[in-house]
Formats: sequence, structure tokens, C-alpha cells
Amino acid sequence: MRMPWQRKRNEISLPQSSAPASEETGVIHLEGVECRYPGSDSPTISKFDLLIKPGEFLSILGRSGAGKTTALRVISGFEQVSAGYIRVGGKLVGSSFVHVPPDQRRIGLVFQDYALFPHLTVAKNVEFGLKNLSSEEKSDRIAPVLAMVGMSGYESRYVHELSGGQQQRVAIARALAPDPVALLLDEPFSNLDRQLRTALRRDIKKIVRETGATTLLVTHDREEALATSDRIAVMGDNCIEQIGTPEEVYQNPVSAAVAKLVGPCELIPGVYRGGVVVTEAGVFPTRVTAENSISDGEQVLALMRASELEITLSGEDDQRTATIELREFEGEFSEYSIRLDSGTLLRVRRRAADGLEADNRVVVSSRDQSKVIVFPV
Amino acid sequence: MNISGVISAGYKSADGKRPPTLLVVSAAAVAFAALIPVAYLLIRSIGVGSEWFDIIWRQSTAAVFGRTFLLIALVTVISVIVAVPVAWLTVKSDIPLRRVLSVASVLPLVVPSFVMATTVIEMYSPKGVLQGWLSGLGVDRLPDIYGLGGATLVLVLMTYPYVLLTVRGALRRIDPALEEAARAMGYGPVHTFRAVTLPMLRPAIAGGSLLVALYTLSDFGGVALLRYQTFTSTIMIQYESSIDRTLAAVLSLVLVVIAVLLLMGEGFTRGRGAYHRSTVGAVRVPRRFKLGKWRWAGAAVVGIPVLIGLIIPMGVLLHWLIRGLVNDQELLPLLVPARNSLYISLLSALITVMTALPIAILAVRFQSRLSRFFERSIYIGFGLPGVVVALSLVFFGINVARPLYQSIWLLIFAYGVLFLPASVGALRSSLLQVSPRVEEAAQSLGKSQWRVIFSVTVPLVMPGAFAGGAMVFLLTMKELPATLILSPIGYRTLSSSIWSAASEAFFAKTAAAALLLVFVAGVPTAYLTLRGHDDNSDSSDRSPQVKDTVR
Repeated sequence: MRMPWQRKRNEISLPQSSAPASEETGVIHLEGVECRYPGSDSPTISKFDLLIKPGEFLSILGRSGAGKTTALRVISGFEQVSAGYIRVGGKLVGSSFVHVPPDQRRIGLVFQDYALFPHLTVAKNVEFGLKNLSSEEKSDRIAPVLAMVGMSGYESRYVHELSGGQQQRVAIARALAPDPVALLLDEPFSNLDRQLRTALRRDIKKIVRETGATTLLVTHDREEALATSDRIAVMGDNCIEQIGTPEEVYQNPVSAAVAKLVGPCELIPGVYRGGVVVTEAGVFPTRVTAENSISDGEQVLALMRASELEITLSGEDDQRTATIELREFEGEFSEYSIRLDSGTLLRVRRRAADGLEADNRVVVSSRDQSKVIVFPV
Repeated sequence: MNISGVISAGYKSADGKRPPTLLVVSAAAVAFAALIPVAYLLIRSIGVGSEWFDIIWRQSTAAVFGRTFLLIALVTVISVIVAVPVAWLTVKSDIPLRRVLSVASVLPLVVPSFVMATTVIEMYSPKGVLQGWLSGLGVDRLPDIYGLGGATLVLVLMTYPYVLLTVRGALRRIDPALEEAARAMGYGPVHTFRAVTLPMLRPAIAGGSLLVALYTLSDFGGVALLRYQTFTSTIMIQYESSIDRTLAAVLSLVLVVIAVLLLMGEGFTRGRGAYHRSTVGAVRVPRRFKLGKWRWAGAAVVGIPVLIGLIIPMGVLLHWLIRGLVNDQELLPLLVPARNSLYISLLSALITVMTALPIAILAVRFQSRLSRFFERSIYIGFGLPGVVVALSLVFFGINVARPLYQSIWLLIFAYGVLFLPASVGALRSSLLQVSPRVEEAAQSLGKSQWRVIFSVTVPLVMPGAFAGGAMVFLLTMKELPATLILSPIGYRTLSSSIWSAASEAFFAKTAAAALLLVFVAGVPTAYLTLRGHDDNSDSSDRSPQVKDTVR
């Protein structure tokens, strides 16, 4: 798909986010935020800390029901907090005693189902949030924003005349038009099919980078979070477990829960013995992430990622052997399902060069002697 | 905390949202106004003291109770039995003349009950037309039309469209994929209807039945002409026959209690379902069932209530009109009443819809105990007979709002109290289809809650506002007792002209006014029915998520 900016770059300029935010105060700052729905005993989010820096693209990654959307609704002002502080652009907008309504927070929100106004045209949808401007100034603003999302020429269409991807673009244009302090995206790609999702994800990343908008994306899709974000905040139940760059959270997850969320993996039990872990799949060299300390002889969970494992045909005297149950050819790689003799299933992902096939007996090891991460049980 | 937050702090909805203060205040004012008649009844009854129980538990009162409940039960059950198949056949099957029949099947709604009762007596009474035809065939006596049978017939004919309209709307909204899923799992068409369709229609059937039950409870003209004594006709007799209106007030209060009980019964069936579409993907246009050789049988099922409830009454009226014209009866004075009817009905439709809006928004978007109280309190008006509302407003006009007395504004007030529920209902179902996310989007773009209502909510519920307005228009055209009692002296409408012409036995004038009324009220009703009919894409207009095609 060709977008206008691919031909005429830098022609469109949107004012940079005007929030008086610095690296320290952050554009959005949540401190110990707690939110509970009336009538429910346990809070949906609690002890929630998050600082979003100016111009940053930050994702909150968590399984569904973890409270991601609540976090987003708390920031945008649709839910009131029962404890903690929310600051937007350094200004306190939410706490147990202050509640600035959503319309005064200047936060651009893109909804999961877009929530475009069905009674208005594309141009009127984008115009909706523009205030205190003459009609000329408004149209001066609408045109570049629509061009930016690749929707020029659709001004007079109604929403139901657009495809899902186009609606998505209009929703982003509408959110960006009033020059918000930050852009909040709630699972923005979940309603689109796979191919479109990837294409749109790249486009949005590009749009956001060009406008310099501070962006918070909420998603349960690890690929989406890893591919788009400057930093990822991984959510456990109710609060954030780890924040870091995509590489950090992927390579050094602080807990088994975080590891599971950021990449496909198996966790198998083993015993830690001075630099190695002894498991039913074999003996692997280990590393322990900074937050954890493990003593010799302790029971641990070893993180087995498909891309970090290797299999070889077993010889006569190998002790811990396994059987290839299934081989799935995916082009460049093949994914093998390996059934250990103990019954546990592991996945191994490797280049499909040699002739390992289903029913072969194999030995599992870590690829290139890479170190397996272990967590205390 | 911002100021509006402080003011409306007392009001917090179940999900913790605070509505704009002005919304709560205006809803409270509307609910308060709607409760004025009940307040009057209470004031009237206070003086009675311990006689209260004697009046209610008197032998004859108990019998009237029994008769009223019997009539309500019969009319409601038969209306549902008639309306559900008619709804299904006109929405989901390929019967011949489907469009014509689906409009015509709603139209008995526009016939006023006293007109319907008069024509039913003309046709089916012992001296009626049908008896005349049948005596040639050797049938000497038809079953007696007066009493329970005739009253049930008249009320079913007039009220089954309430169930038909709500069920039809629900049938159109059901995602065909659900029924297809059932079929794919090996359910036959009948089993699918029972296991999937019918449970999804339950709220609609309950809502329609409530309207039928409340209408039956409050009808006077029909039951009086067919000589079946109900609670309402007893009250009417009390009002007319005694100077002391205390007894009637006490009985009216009992009527209010019955209405409240009916409302609570419907509330139980409403459940906690969310009715706006939360899933993505356009609703496909449902495929119609091919009835094959049963097509004409299907058309007959729809056609029979149309024949009895619309065509025959119209025929009787036309017959009277022609007979009168032949005899040179005067018709011209009907022009002014027709103009008055049109004017006052349009005005009360407009005002009623506007006052219904805050109640509906509060009830749907900010659910709480208070919003439920507001909504329920306005429904009481629908259960009250027009005469009770009218007389309590006379009392209110003389004692409290003197400038309104003997003006059309008090009349419009009465229509509002009586017909608010019709417009609140229509707005409510329209609002349920608007995703709250759309309103939140508007708010996140910097519009205050109050401005969101005007720039987003109101435009999106316009279809509901029109439907509700048309319903109020129609009901206002038909309403008789309130019109008779509250009209300024000399102010005549079509329905009061029908009444006076009928009581003076000017059949041609009665027929002309009645036909005019049915025509004027029928046109917008037919138009709305047709529009709802053609507009199969109407749900996708409101939740416009057309699935993306891979490009």
C-alpha cells in the first residue's frame, strides 16, 4: 500500500506535543495507582507505577483480564482512582480526591472498536475535537492529518462506507487532530486480519514517529508490543512486573510469568547445581537474572525457548532421550514438537537442513551453549 | 473535585460514572411531574382512614379484581400468541404481499378503542351484520359478544401490535449467524426457533406484554361499550355517580399498585444482558425462510388479524359514511377539529420526546437505583386511566397551576404523563444500540459530558426519537377521556368529535371523523413501519464495523 508520505516526505508537519513535560516528570506519570470497580472486593489494578517519557512509544503487555484497559481508562479519566496519583504533563489529574474529567485531559484515545461517529463524515469525525478554531483553520488542520494517515479523498465518506483498516486510520487521525498530550491505543489491531494488522502496525509506528507523539499502546499480542515499542511494561495481575526495552524484557525476564508473556516458551522443573541446571531434558548451562538469587541444590524452573534449543540424533549411551512427535515445516524454519520420555512436551525451532523427521530419537541441548534462564520455584 | 462533581456527588451510577447535574435535575423534574396524579390520589385517600380496607375488600371489589386480572391475562396471552407468529412471518419468511401485510398488521393500533368496540358490536352482536348473513345459513344465535369474550376480542385487536412492534424489532436485530450456528449443530428450524430465537426475543415479548397489560388495565371505552366491568370502569362509574370522589381515588390508588406490580414483573424478565453489539463484523441481511406451498397459509395467519382488526372496522365506518352522505348529513365542521388534533398531537409528541430524553439517557447510561426509580415512576402513567390523570390534573390546575387551567398546555401535560413511557421505551432501545465507547471518544476529544449528549447521543438516537414521537402522536390522536375533561371550552379534536357525534347518533359524522383520525394517525405509523422494514442495514449503520477485506 502506498501512503502519501512515502512520496512526499516532510511536507506535512504537525505541531509537536506541547506538553510541558521533561524526562523526569514524564508526560504521563502514575504512582501507586489503585482502581476498584464499585461492588467488587479486589481492585482491578493496584500499586500501579508507570512513567511515560516525552516522545516515547510504550506498550503495556498483559494477558486479557490483567487490568490493561483499566489502566488506560484511568489515565484517560473514564475511571476514578481509589488511591495513588496520576499526572499528565506534570499536572495532577487523578487521585482519591482529584478527578479531572476526560474532556479536560487532552489525551487522544483510539478505541478497540474505533468508536467513530456513525452520523458524521470522515472529515467531521476528525474535526470533532477541534475547538476555538475558525472553519478555515479547521480545514487547514483536517487535510494534513488525513493525508498523514493516508485517508485523503475520503473526507465526505461515512464511517460505514469504510473498511476496518480505513476506520482504524480515521480513528487515529481523529485522536491526533486536537494535538493531544499523548496518544493512547487500546488493542488497536485486534479487529483486523493478520496481514492487514502487520501492515497497519508499521504505518502507525511511522505516523507516530513523524508526529513525535508520546504513545501508550495496550495489547495482549507480544509480537505487536515487541515490534512497535521503545519500552514495554509487562503486566502481571493488577500491576506492572517489569519495564524495559523489548530486548531487556525478552532476554532478562524477571519472573517466569513475564517470560511466558514476552515469548513462547516452556518452563520445566530442575535442580540448580553450580552453574548448570539438571532437568529431565538434560543438563544445561544457566544464568540467573539480576533480581533473583538461587543457591546450590535449589529447585528451579528452567526457561526453554524454542529458538534457543537444539536437537541431535541420539547415540547408544545417551541417557535422557526424547522422540520427535511432529515436524512443522514453515519455510525457513521448522518447528519440532519433542516428547521427552518423562512425557513433557518441548518445542524446538531450527533451520530445516538435516533430515530429522518424526519418530526420530533425539537428545535436547541448548544451542551454541547459550545459557538457560532459571527462576526460583 | 470539579463543581459538577460536587453537586452530583450524591448520584453515582452502578459503574461509578457521574451524569451531568443538569441531566439528573431535568430527569427528576420529569419524574416528579409524572407522579403528580399519584400524589393527588394519595392526598384524596388520606382522609379515608380505616375505611380504606373495607372499600378494597368489599365483596364486589374483589369480584372486579378477579374480572380485571382475568381480562389482563387473557388479552396478554392471546396478544403474544397472535403477535409472535405474525412478527416472524413478516420478518423471516417469504409470504406473499409481505410488505403490505407487515404495515397493515401494525395499523389496528391506530383505531381508538371506542371505535373498535362500536364496529365490533355492529358486526358481531345478536342484531349485527354477521348474524344477518348467517341466519340465511340457518345459524340462529351467535355466541354473545357482550362480556368477557367481546372485551377480549376488542382489546387483543388493538393491543397485539404493541407486542408485534417490539418482537419485530428484536427479530431484525438478532444476528443471523446465531441461528445458522444452531442449524449447523443439527437443530431443525423449529428447534432452532425454540432454543435460540425465542430466548433472545424474551425481553421484547416481556416489554410488549407490559404495554398490553397496562393498556388493558386502563382501557375504558372498549370495556364500557362491551359491558364488561373492570377496575377502570368501576372507577369511572364512581367518578360520575358520586360527588365524593374519595372512593374513586382509593380505587385509583389500587390501580397504581397493580401497575407497579406489572412493572416489577417485567423488570424480572429483563435480565442483565447487554443489547448493543459488542462484537465486530457487519450483521448480514438475514435470509428468509422459504415456506413453499405454505406461503399462502402464512399470509392468512398475518391477514386474519388485519381483516378483523382493520379492514372490517374500516368497512363498517365507510358503510356508515356513505349511508350518511346519501342522506345529506353535514360533515364540514370537522375541519377545525382535524386541524386541532394535528396541532396538539404534534406538539405533545415533540414535548414528550424531549422530556423523555433525560430519563432514557439516565436509565441506559448511568444505571442506578435512582435512575430506575425515575424510569419506573413515569411508567405508572401508562397504567392509569386517562380519566384519573385528567381529573387529578384538574385538581392540580385549579389549586396549584392556575394559569395552565383551561389552556391546551394542561392537556399536553396530561398527554405527557400518559404517553411518556412510549417515547422513553423507543429512546431506550435506540440508546442501547449506541456503543458507550462512541460517547467516550467524544469526551476524550474535549467535549464535556453535556455537550457530548447534544453532539453525539441525540443525533444517534434520532431514529428512536422519531419512532417514539410517532407513537405519542398516535396515542394522543386516539385519547378520549383526558381530551374531554381537560380541553379548554370549545376546543374540539377529532376524538372528542367522534364521541359527541356518536352520542348524538350522527353516524356519518362519527364515521367521517373516525376515518379521518385513522388516516391521519395511520400515515406516520405506516411510514415508520415501512422504513424499519426496508432498513435492514440499520444495525450496521449504528455499529459500523464492516469487516475488512484483504487488499
